[in-house]
Amino acid sequence: MIKRKPLVRACGLLLVPFAALAHHSPSMFDGSKQLTLSGTVREFQWSNPHSYIQLVVKAADGTETEWSLEMGANAYLYNLGWRPSTVKPGDKLTVKVDPLRNGSPGGLLVEAVTADGKALGRRP
Amino acid sequence: MSLRYELARFALLSSVVVLNAGVASSASAQDTSAWQGVWIADGLTPDISGFPPPGSRWYKLLDPQAPWNEEGRKRFDAMMRSGSDRKANGWGFPMMMDAGAPFEILVTPHKTLIINVYRDVRHVYTDARAHPPDEERWPTTWGDSVGRWDGDTLVVDTVSVRNPPLYFFSAPPLSEQAHYVERLRKNGPDRIDSVMTIEDPVTLAKPWVLKLTYVRAEGTDRLLNDDYANDRSEVDGGVFTITPPKR
Repeated sequence: MIKRKPLVRACGLLLVPFAALAHHSPSMFDGSKQLTLSGTVREFQWSNPHSYIQLVVKAADGTETEWSLEMGANAYLYNLGWRPSTVKPGDKLTVKVDPLRNGSPGGLLVEAVTADGKALGRRP
Repeated sequence: MSLRYELARFALLSSVVVLNAGVASSASAQDTSAWQGVWIADGLTPDISGFPPPGSRWYKLLDPQAPWNEEGRKRFDAMMRSGSDRKANGWGFPMMMDAGAPFEILVTPHKTLIINVYRDVRHVYTDARAHPPDEERWPTTWGDSVGRWDGDTLVVDTVSVRNPPLYFFSAPPLSEQAHYVERLRKNGPDRIDSVMTIEDPVTLAKPWVLKLTYVRAEGTDRLLNDDYANDRSEVDGGVFTITPPKR
């Protein structure tokens, strides 16, 4: 399921702290078109320079799309309480995503909530 | 060679003399265990996205209001417009000192190491040595650092830093003539205050003084280094995209 929401991040691109990732610029993501996706985890990649959740999202017509959701490095996630087993294949998640500008099914994961409503570790 | 450059060079040599004179206060007199643990620049702790949450502070080392001269302003504006198609392997100096990357400070009697989660390493020699002479020194990403203890304050003098944006796309465009002095002091059990003063005859109109604070990196008691084996970022039409997972 996909929901489109108006701009959640108040900052324009120039004011986004784009140096946060010591790997690449976030200009590849469009924070003005934040999406809410609900789907099933196919894979959780606990890695550096980024971790990824592969989320399979089913559309109303039954077609499935696998999204690549980029996160911070595993070291950053560890500090936030995540572990390699925090997300497992088959888990149901609802996530907020800043989508890729090129239209590919991927984006920057900014929030993840489990099926029982638990927000997975992030700063208050 | 300009008069300003000569003045900067004199200031640098003078600071080395001061460094040598101050070596009497050594790391052995410090409570080195107090510096142990994992630290992070205050206000820059990343969220799950890898970015600090919305509303976080801006990077002090990316301050458009720094005392840039005409050349520095030109370089700063160019740096801000670029970088969307570049990768970095770490932060380099000085950005690693104003970053969302946790780091450790290992104090020993003759040397202090500053190491971050991206394996950026600074070797700060506190054994009374001076910087190597010009012919034995060249610009590097982390520069050449010597230090001394001024009471409970670690004073770090760094020169020969390669133009920072060459390594990390988002960094102050200082020249290789820049001279950095940091004064790091433990201020309570969970805080380090630092004053960084940068002089650069090429890009700055006057010394740039920054106040930085480091706090304990919550949630960890160790530095977690890893390689880039799962790098899925690739340039597509001038902007990065995410490549499919390797299966």
